Amino acid sequence: MPGDLLLTPFIAGVLVTMVLALAGAGLFLRGSVWQALALGQWAAVGGVLASVLHWPVLPVALLLGGGIMVLLQRSRDRERLPLAVFLAGLAAVTLLAANFAQASLAAAAWAEGQLYFAGPNELWAAIGLSLLTVLMVPVLLRVWLHAQIAPDVSAASRPAVWQHLGEIAWLVAAIVLGSMVLGLPAALATLLLPAWGAAWLARNFTGLVLWTQGIALFGFLVAWTISLPLDQPFAPVLVLVNVMLALGARLAAMLR
Amino acid sequence: MPPEPVPPILHTQSALLGFDRPVIGPLSLEIPAGARWALTGPNGVGKSLLLKAITGQARVHGGRFELAPRTHPSLLAQDHARPQPWPLSGDDWLRAMGARVPEHEGVRALLNRRLDRLSGGQWQLLRLAAVLTSREEYPSAQRLILLDEPANHLDAEVRADAVELIKAVPAETTLLITSHDDEFLQALGLENHPLAEYLDAG
Repeated sequence: MPGDLLLTPFIAGVLVTMVLALAGAGLFLRGSVWQALALGQWAAVGGVLASVLHWPVLPVALLLGGGIMVLLQRSRDRERLPLAVFLAGLAAVTLLAANFAQASLAAAAWAEGQLYFAGPNELWAAIGLSLLTVLMVPVLLRVWLHAQIAPDVSAASRPAVWQHLGEIAWLVAAIVLGSMVLGLPAALATLLLPAWGAAWLARNFTGLVLWTQGIALFGFLVAWTISLPLDQPFAPVLVLVNVMLALGARLAAMLR
Repeated sequence: MPPEPVPPILHTQSALLGFDRPVIGPLSLEIPAGARWALTGPNGVGKSLLLKAITGQARVHGGRFELAPRTHPSLLAQDHARPQPWPLSGDDWLRAMGARVPEHEGVRALLNRRLDRLSGGQWQLLRLAAVLTSREEYPSAQRLILLDEPANHLDAEVRADAVELIKAVPAETTLLITSHDDEFLQALGLENHPLAEYLDAG
């Protein structure tokens, strides 16, 4: 593939990686990693279903992902219910793939990642989400920091309802678009692993956000550099790179 | 003319408190604004539940339970488990609580430390300092500070610091403390109010 054609997927990938890494830092602080798994899986169900129905992928994935997030937010169960929802999503994708040829192709694309084929639509969506993220950073940081204080109570006012809803909608958009561009496993790995590695190295909240960004971007660049010349699917390479980086961060923290 | 009586900061009449269902009550009491109360009583009498009802973490199932308008409660819960790892610093904690950076040397020494690397006593002291100065810019008379067993986890090293911080709370601010630690309560010089005396009294 000519180099200039790769510029679009590269930029889309970098932008989506930065957004996912920020979301990962927030999910880590909130202890909501299972919710991310369930949400990502149901975004994939939406994408596969859209391919069967010949509907546009992004709105259907956003709708299903959003519906799942609403369901999960209504429950206090942070482990069993999200895990059950994740498994149900996995089963739904498998059944769709077993019964429809288009679904089988779409499911493979979501699993392997379609980064090299990201076009202007994905790029514009990534740019739009990145700009939205820049605007929302103060709100996101406030909501995540405030979420840490329970069971203590501050005399300060709580984040407003619109700020909580904005955070949830942003998380849904980040995970759905991230899964579309990078592939589900790569998106989940970018969400979960850099933040986990960064949590051992950071001295404070700002450090967590910066270390997470650094690890995630470095992982993306390494995976890009390895997978292209070796003609490997991007998603599994990125997952393995992120696993190694997160373990390396843990080891570095132990040796410090 | 005699001064007008100060309205209570909390007034309850035959209140039933609990979570999914009532656990204590009927409870009838009035806490004057600016009071310094130590709520005492055996485990399970409902001291912590009362504090949680004030902050809205527990429900009022019946009766009257009225907090004075524009009251801003802050609460030091009995325990606050720390996840591992937890990449937040003491400074982050004060920011999350909307608290100012205190002048107290012992607390300032914790600002650049990670929360998951503090000792139990240091963590308790930092939380206490944050609750005591949370939104300190509000009028002192509108602040209601609730401390649930603040002496928990305090070793000898930080115990005197905790007493010093609590004693520095402005006189107009209402302070409500639960504790089983008589020595700690004596050091603070609070009025003792056994909660059982206010139950079934309405």
